[in-house]
Amino acid sequence: MNHLALVPALPAATAYLWLIPLFPLLGAAVNGLAGRWLPKALVAGLACLTILLSFLLAVTAFQQVAGGAALHQTWLEWIQVGRVHAELGLTVDRLSAVMLLVVTGVGFLIHLYSVGYMEDDPGFARYFAYLNLFAAAMLVLVLADNLVALFIGWEGVGLCSYLLIGFWFTDDAKAYAGRKAFVVNRIGDFGVLIGTFVLLKATGHVDFAGMQAASRMLTPAIATTAGLLLFMGACGKSAQLPLYVWLPDAMAGPTPVSALIHAATMVTAGVYLVARMGFLYDLAPVALAVVAIVGTLTALWAALIATAQHDIKKVLAYSTVSQLGFMFIGNGVGAYDAGLGHVVTHAFFKACLFLGAGSVIHGLGGEQDMRKMGGLGKEMPHTSRTFLIATIAITGIFPLSGFFSKDEILHRALTTTRFAGIGLGWLGPAVYAIGTLTALLTSYYMWRLYQRTFNGERRNEHHAHESPAVMTGPLWILATLSIVGALLVMPRVQWLERWLHPHADLEGEIPYVPFLVALAVAWAGYYLAQYFHGAGSEARASKVAAAWPRLTLALENKLYVDEAYDLVIVRPLRFVAHTLWEFGDALLIDGMMVNGTARLTGWIAGGLRKLQNGDAQAYATVIALGTAALLFAMLR
Amino acid sequence: MPAMNLLTVLIFLPLVGVLALAFVPAEQKSLLRGVALLTSLATFGVALLVATGYDAKLSGWQFEAQAAWAPGLGFGYHVGLDGIALLLELLTAFLSPIVFLSSWKAIDGRVKLFTISLLALETAMLGTFAALDLVLFYVFWEAMLIPMYVLIGVFGSDNRIYATVKFFVFTFAGSVLMLIAILFLYTKTPAGSRTFDYVELMKVTLSASEQRWLFAAFAIAFAIKVPMFPLHTWLPDAHTEAPTAGSVILAGVLLKMGTFGFVRYALPLFPSAALEAQPIIGWLGVVGIVYGALMCMAQKDMKRLIAYSSVSHLGFVMLGLAALSPEAVTGAVYQMLNHGVSTGLLFLSIGFLYERRHTRAIEEYGGLAAVTPGIAAVFLIATLASVGLPTTNGFVGEFLILSGTFLSRAAHGEAMTIVAATGVILGAVYMLWLYQKVFFGPVKVPANAHLKDLSVREWVVALPLVVAIGYMGVMPGAFLDVLKTPVAALTQRLGGNGVVTPPRLFGTPPGGALRNGLGTFPQGTIRPFAPAPPPPPRKLEAAP
Repeated sequence: MNHLALVPALPAATAYLWLIPLFPLLGAAVNGLAGRWLPKALVAGLACLTILLSFLLAVTAFQQVAGGAALHQTWLEWIQVGRVHAELGLTVDRLSAVMLLVVTGVGFLIHLYSVGYMEDDPGFARYFAYLNLFAAAMLVLVLADNLVALFIGWEGVGLCSYLLIGFWFTDDAKAYAGRKAFVVNRIGDFGVLIGTFVLLKATGHVDFAGMQAASRMLTPAIATTAGLLLFMGACGKSAQLPLYVWLPDAMAGPTPVSALIHAATMVTAGVYLVARMGFLYDLAPVALAVVAIVGTLTALWAALIATAQHDIKKVLAYSTVSQLGFMFIGNGVGAYDAGLGHVVTHAFFKACLFLGAGSVIHGLGGEQDMRKMGGLGKEMPHTSRTFLIATIAITGIFPLSGFFSKDEILHRALTTTRFAGIGLGWLGPAVYAIGTLTALLTSYYMWRLYQRTFNGERRNEHHAHESPAVMTGPLWILATLSIVGALLVMPRVQWLERWLHPHADLEGEIPYVPFLVALAVAWAGYYLAQYFHGAGSEARASKVAAAWPRLTLALENKLYVDEAYDLVIVRPLRFVAHTLWEFGDALLIDGMMVNGTARLTGWIAGGLRKLQNGDAQAYATVIALGTAALLFAMLR
Repeated sequence: MPAMNLLTVLIFLPLVGVLALAFVPAEQKSLLRGVALLTSLATFGVALLVATGYDAKLSGWQFEAQAAWAPGLGFGYHVGLDGIALLLELLTAFLSPIVFLSSWKAIDGRVKLFTISLLALETAMLGTFAALDLVLFYVFWEAMLIPMYVLIGVFGSDNRIYATVKFFVFTFAGSVLMLIAILFLYTKTPAGSRTFDYVELMKVTLSASEQRWLFAAFAIAFAIKVPMFPLHTWLPDAHTEAPTAGSVILAGVLLKMGTFGFVRYALPLFPSAALEAQPIIGWLGVVGIVYGALMCMAQKDMKRLIAYSSVSHLGFVMLGLAALSPEAVTGAVYQMLNHGVSTGLLFLSIGFLYERRHTRAIEEYGGLAAVTPGIAAVFLIATLASVGLPTTNGFVGEFLILSGTFLSRAAHGEAMTIVAATGVILGAVYMLWLYQKVFFGPVKVPANAHLKDLSVREWVVALPLVVAIGYMGVMPGAFLDVLKTPVAALTQRLGGNGVVTPPRLFGTPPGGALRNGLGTFPQGTIRPFAPAPPPPPRKLEAAP
């Protein structure tokens, strides 16, 4: 890997690993505590510098890993009680080294872009504090050597996501979107917690190496249970069915945040977790099948919704959900390297797309509705060209990165033998077929987006302007990476594969037929988009929409999933809470049992009091009656 | 009484402050406040001294002191600390100065009564944790009631009388049961040397049915104080009506009296009954977690919401205690401290808001993050600790409780863990809802538009707790080490759950003992670590 020798190699020590998350953490601390009183240049400089330093250290770590074994450092003892040994241990192996470069590299570019994008925002310092904090948490997630330390990063990125989605908190809808993201993620985190407990109980370890070493303790039943529970967390963080609903709403945050957190890095954490736990999933073909099925269905489902959205960011959001589905298909057929390949290439082109969308929104003064765009290509040459490159990449047109990474996944799904043993031999080809259909939809909605934004005639009067160099610079770098990234996954070249499995024999056959199918599908999507949304052909699209009004409406309304959840989960829960409160606590326990006892006591006391009212005649009467009764009883 | 026992100094130093306050004229409010604050600070200093002098490696009681009181009747002054009591003493001494400083402006009438009550309460609380004689314990226990009665009944808000009576009657009913049980226990000590001494009582043998009755009496008294579902309804009223200082002390320390009572008395004194009751306590804890969280979702009053969140959090503690694995019990004790710190900070933050707007209604707020970013930041940190975000103290406690329960041999341990863990989701639901309603969105009420942010005094009040949340979340080691010995002693007394032997798990090939999958992991057996029997002597064979 000497082609990545950007900095001189440091001495082969691992004592610096903790600095990788520490730098952005310090940046967050300074900007969070004192940023309000610092000049903007200093705030921005500090934020970008810290993540750049992390990137340089990541490159160093990468080189060290290339030279030999994985790196390891224990940062803190953290929790050590009985059988629970959860230290804050950091490790860099071949898998985390790749993630490390993506997070710090793409992260740095997006920090840089944000300097321009957030220039006029009054919350400038707060924004960079959150962004730095996110980077630190994400780096802990990637570096963690055990599930509990990973959970620090896992929930930490969730917190930053919450804070950044609701960054403009005076808008209730945005604050709600942030809260929704956190709560839905927490549902997934529940799975991670219980999954960790299952693995701890079975293997006696929470660290990856220890669990793997003790993996013979993992019977298929335990492995499947743990695998499914961890995948539940992955579904939350990586926005898969049925927990994807927070991600489209997360677009309420500033657009660079959508690029960094909700496209390039955080949402791939679930994919990373499954890949990291590959040794577990290898023992649990049923869990793998579930991963593959959920990934496939999510990919299709989200792509369908994306075809009918009008908000440029919503299209990209559903596209992200769909692409994450592809990554899980890779994981689900046991091709973790293919899944990781798509993580990397997707980080490049989707970050480029989101930042491009941000540039458009910035240039149009906050407009996000594609119905009011069009013809921006002339006014925003850099944005439109980089966007075009990234669109070619994501739609899977030869020879850009998306073509190879997506088709590696689909090809591996087609040829997988993983599911034969559990009687699901048909699953691989089925996944391939649905995945190919999804690829067609992907190509269609992305070209539709491009067409409606950059080509044709403008549909409103707002003056557009190209963004400054600090924003277009990162766009060009990411566009370049979207092209060059192909080398990572291109057959015969396969840098990523060679990196992950340095000793593997990679001289397989090039799958020409799937390649041709994929290419045909990608171009079909392009022509479909041209046919319906090309210059002067809008009438055709309206005609189709008019022919199926219900379908169109349902797709525009995101298939009513939010409404369904509201009806089935949110309202019943609220109803139960209020009913229990009014009838359980207030009426039954407090009203009847507590105050009832008090009233009963008062009532008895009140009755007894009447007996002692000091009336001598009454006493005499009672005595007389009593004596009479006694006499009567004795004389009988 | 030994003159220089540091623990005795710690317990009675606040009482010295009371004595000093008695001579200060009631009009000199600043002097009263100053003396009280200094006394509590000095007490905290002594507590730190005690902590530095405590040796975590030793078992048994440290800083022990004994003095005759009524030798003929079998009770005396006997105090001492184990790791659990030490940390609770620290918590009490830590919160007291914060409470005085937080009430600097809020309490302006009857300052003398207020300061005297709080200091007297501090002595009673410190004494309760340290007592090693059941009469002494009972005296301190009951002594807490009176100042608390004053704090809520005199300094509380509109509906304070109802709340005070409810609080008093609930607690007192439990105390009476406990008193009867203590007296009965006394009659079981050897005839010649009847005693109330805790150390001696631990040696008394009781029949199974005696244990059951006594355990029930103690458990009900403590369960009311925790409070456990369904004995919790005094808490929301008491919290809602109490002044900020009262709420902080109530949530921070007084609720721990119940859980501490379980750890120190109910569980170890009656081990077999405690084991029988294990599933009931565990499930009541789980119900408390979920029920408390659901209650939170239906509240309109900030303080009432936090009060119900206490029911939920204390449910975690009870679950951990019931699970009886070292991890879970350690987590439970740690969670007692965490709850004191984070809920204390929540009540303080609500106090900041209340002092500015004089309302607890959630709907009266909104959009405050833009107006008072300082309060918003402090409240956010308290919220994150409350929902147990990793790197806050709350996570360490919850994680240990849940993992310890899952690992334990307690009946239904896994099922309890799974239901309890939904509390982690629900916690995020209600806390973030509250946070959004108060701090996010537009400023709807005009009176909120120009609220002042935290003053220097208020920062000084909040910062120690913020630091504690972070420190206890990232560096829990020092605390957890102190708990190791006492927790091991407790878990071993209750069936030796502490010595589950993992080697059997490691040594079993798949398909063997693990074949049944989840729910039937081999649990390891309680085996004393006796050396393996020596191999039978081989016959010496004659050399060929």
